[in-house]
Amino acid sequence: MRELLRLEHLSYSYDDDRAALTDVSVSLYAGQRVAVLGNNGAGKSTFFLCCNGVLRPSAGDIYLDGERLGSKNPDRSRLRRAVGLVFQDPDTQIIAGTVEAEVSFGPMNLRLPREEVRRRVDDAVENLQLEDFRTRPPHYLSGGEKKRVSIADVLAMEPELLLLDEPAASLDPANARLLEQNLELLGRRGLGLVIATHDVDFAWRWAERVLVFSGGTLRADAAPERVFADDALLKQCGLQQPTLYQVGRLLRMDPPPRTVEELAARRTN
Amino acid sequence: MIITAILTALVSACLGWGRMPPGPLGLLSVGLGLLLGLLGRHEHGGALSIDALAQRSSLGGVNAVLKFWGSLALLLLCVLSASALPGLALALLMGVLTVRGGRVPLHDYLSLLALPAAFLLISALALLWSWGDSPAGVLNIPLFGGWLSVSPAAQARTALVICKALGAVSCLYLLSLSTPMAEIIAVLRRAHVPALAVELMYLIYRYIFILLDMHRTMHDAAQSRLGYDGFRLSVRTTGSIYANLLARSFKRAGACFDAMESRCYDGEIRFLEREKPVLPVHAAAAAGLLILTFGLSLLAF
Repeated sequence: MRELLRLEHLSYSYDDDRAALTDVSVSLYAGQRVAVLGNNGAGKSTFFLCCNGVLRPSAGDIYLDGERLGSKNPDRSRLRRAVGLVFQDPDTQIIAGTVEAEVSFGPMNLRLPREEVRRRVDDAVENLQLEDFRTRPPHYLSGGEKKRVSIADVLAMEPELLLLDEPAASLDPANARLLEQNLELLGRRGLGLVIATHDVDFAWRWAERVLVFSGGTLRADAAPERVFADDALLKQCGLQQPTLYQVGRLLRMDPPPRTVEELAARRTN
Repeated sequence: MIITAILTALVSACLGWGRMPPGPLGLLSVGLGLLLGLLGRHEHGGALSIDALAQRSSLGGVNAVLKFWGSLALLLLCVLSASALPGLALALLMGVLTVRGGRVPLHDYLSLLALPAAFLLISALALLWSWGDSPAGVLNIPLFGGWLSVSPAAQARTALVICKALGAVSCLYLLSLSTPMAEIIAVLRRAHVPALAVELMYLIYRYIFILLDMHRTMHDAAQSRLGYDGFRLSVRTTGSIYANLLARSFKRAGACFDAMESRCYDGEIRFLEREKPVLPVHAAAAAGLLILTFGLSLLAF
């Protein structure tokens, strides 16, 4: 797998005495599905803002495609092009008066030719099934629709790595399912996906790698099977084992099933 | 709405006094007042409904540049004209165009019109009545040893002002009830309004709704905890809601700026604009209206 982004000994603090991230080293790869777990205030959002180049780390280095990035604007701009960030609350992200204009904001900032902007907007709008809302102002959209707009926003910039901050928070079950289908499609197109979530069940069925943050440090970086087997770690970080994982263990299945379908199939065999 | 209806009846009675027999005049005035009172609808949140109506308007497909400059030209003609005719004609034509052509419900149109009309009618009363030593007008009321009277000159002047104002408001309503805000701002941008002003308009338009939403949730939350139980409490709750709104707005502004930066914002806001074509029939309609209004304003000389 090709390494896209590497952070080495990265630290960040909002005030001088309150560190939000301490000594985080991690590599992110193209086409990988990564879940980021950790309770509120664990440093997930700060981690994302640093990966995207919005926050300047107070210590440590960032490498993009193996090349070390400085804190100068052109370098930060390169980082923002390669790494897209979808904010938790779509309303902080949406600024335009219509969905179409909103999705065009990112590509327009990349100074692309008009035809290319149009193509990317059309692609992103189609990918997230927003055709019917093109000329609609954002304040007449529902929460799920706004979430899709905020993802289309970033997709239109065609990043190689997509960071999503709690995308399913405040979505109803139907919209959460739709979101998961969209993520599946994006993953199949080779986009690296990193999702911060509180939903361990989602992390268990979706992720191939799990990062666990606690108190601003990276506590674990491993496959889900290993992370959820570590009872001491889960307890320290205030996490729980996924339901299916617990069921699988009760039924002495190794490895535990990822989905209900898998559970059923393995039980009948 | 009821106040506007009463004012309408009162002003039209004063305007027509001495020019029409009292019987038909009374009927006409009361009729106008009743029409407005019955057809209009009392509602709050005018700005919000203008935005919603503009979204749904059947005239939304008409090129925004044409609508913008067309209604502005008509407005100027109407205001600059020396006669009441263009204003009256525009008020009627634009009203029909907005209600029939744009499919804006008549109720909504009238209640939107009632907002500026109330101000207009109150000023009309002030324009009509003047206080003097002798009963010189067509309608005189003794007061404090002098006379409050309506003179024919004041009637003519007031009629002119009312017609001009109604015409101008109808032109603006045609534009704002058929064109979403984003399109109007795009027209301004292309007219080389400074980028800073245009960007502020985009952001203000977006954040009006976010702030309103924030305010509504806080208001509801306060109400559910009996925050509006009595006058003193209401005042205090309103105060703390506004203080909180300010603090949250600041915080939100920071987050929004981060979100813009994360999408490579470099100090200039640009959006993709898709232009709607100018159809010959729309251009012809606009030209026709302009010629008609111009002709009517020439009639006065």
